[in-house]
Amino acid sequence: MKHLSPVSLKVNGELYELSIPPWRTLLEVLREDLSLTGTKRSCQEGQCGACTVLLDGRAIYSCLFLAVEAEGKEILTIEGLARSAGALDPIQKAFVETGAVQCGFCTPGLVLAAKSFLDENPAPSEEEVRRATVGHLCRCTGYFQIFEAVLAAARERAGKSAPA
Amino acid sequence: MGYLRRLPRFDYLAPHTVDEACSALAERRGDARLFAGGTDLVLQMKRREITPRAIIGLKGVASMSCIRAQAGGLAIGAMTTFRAIESSPLIREKHDFLCETAAAIGSPEIRAVATIGGNLSGALPCADFPAPLMTLGAIVKLRSVRGERALALEDFFMEFAKTAAAPDEILTEIEIPSRPGFSAGAYLKFHDRHAMDMTTTGVAAFVTWDREKRLIGDARIALSVSGPVPLRVKNAEAALRGQTFTEKALEEAALLACQEAQPRASWRARREFREELINVLTKRALRQAGEKARAAAEKGNA
Repeated sequence: MKHLSPVSLKVNGELYELSIPPWRTLLEVLREDLSLTGTKRSCQEGQCGACTVLLDGRAIYSCLFLAVEAEGKEILTIEGLARSAGALDPIQKAFVETGAVQCGFCTPGLVLAAKSFLDENPAPSEEEVRRATVGHLCRCTGYFQIFEAVLAAARERAGKSAPA
Repeated sequence: MGYLRRLPRFDYLAPHTVDEACSALAERRGDARLFAGGTDLVLQMKRREITPRAIIGLKGVASMSCIRAQAGGLAIGAMTTFRAIESSPLIREKHDFLCETAAAIGSPEIRAVATIGGNLSGALPCADFPAPLMTLGAIVKLRSVRGERALALEDFFMEFAKTAAAPDEILTEIEIPSRPGFSAGAYLKFHDRHAMDMTTTGVAAFVTWDREKRLIGDARIALSVSGPVPLRVKNAEAALRGQTFTEKALEEAALLACQEAQPRASWRARREFREELINVLTKRALRQAGEKARAAAEKGNA
């Protein structure tokens, strides 16, 4: 068995040259090799959504994805979302302001899922927000604040991009 | 948890063409598994239900990910994701219920990765895509170093988790014949959470309307989680052919569908509950597909 494969991963705009075995998931490599622990490890079986990252702009569960298969793709984790230190993305800001963050464990996954969703559907209905977030479990908020946060972020983003 | 959460070790092969994939599979015959989206296989490996020595990753085989119109219908590459299917204008135009079926699988995160070929090749009774495709008379294309063959999808499922594909064959494409005029399909499923959960029972119906006689011209019904494999219920179909579109006709078809099905009891549902679901969902799916087909005929809108 060939154990180590050279793999280059582009994460948050930075290129990492790694040597990893093929049986490691993207989640394991992000957390253990790149120390990007904002991507949370929870159920590890594609049920909870805590490990969600964006792959070429689209939300996926990193616990079900082989790191070797992410080669050549743009990976975005929660660490790469805010453009500069100290600043928040409008989605993060909306989560904070609406009380959508309590223990915070589901938050990185939900924020990234919301980004992927809003990039495609900038003016969603609440029903669409609910359907977009079905793959995420939150044990604290009861979800309503999360739906509200995503809708608030959509309004905020629309306001900014609207012509003056 | 009774299983390890890391993957067992395996060799990883990444072919770029179908031919390369076929050669790799032929060489590693018996100890390699094809790996499509992997959303199911990763779990099976984490649980040590399967521990293949090699994985042949198909994500890099670009030609297997496509949706195209062709003479006689549509072709969908086996590596096409559910996300691509639910958002395909071509599929929506021809068979909108396939888009709806795709959109109700898992979550956006699952649908971005999971593929139609994986859903069929897993041959699990709870998969949602076999039943609607069976009502459309779908054909699967199997390739190996020995050549290519085509097989009706309804002959593809042999037993629980086992398909008719030989150990060296790869499911490359699914062909869907052109839709007859004045026809429509529906797939309805019961699942507890309405997201992220296994289907308890699902029913697909496809109805072709006889415009001149104002009757049901043809009907096809296929069931999920109603036996060891996805299945057509042909007695129920035959009973509908040439019938007027009445509740009585639907009731009779639903009873026949229950008789032909062999649902099992599991922690998810008792056998009696599944039979009740088959009965109710068969009627609903037939009603939905039938009304749509009839409306198309009345409007002269094939």
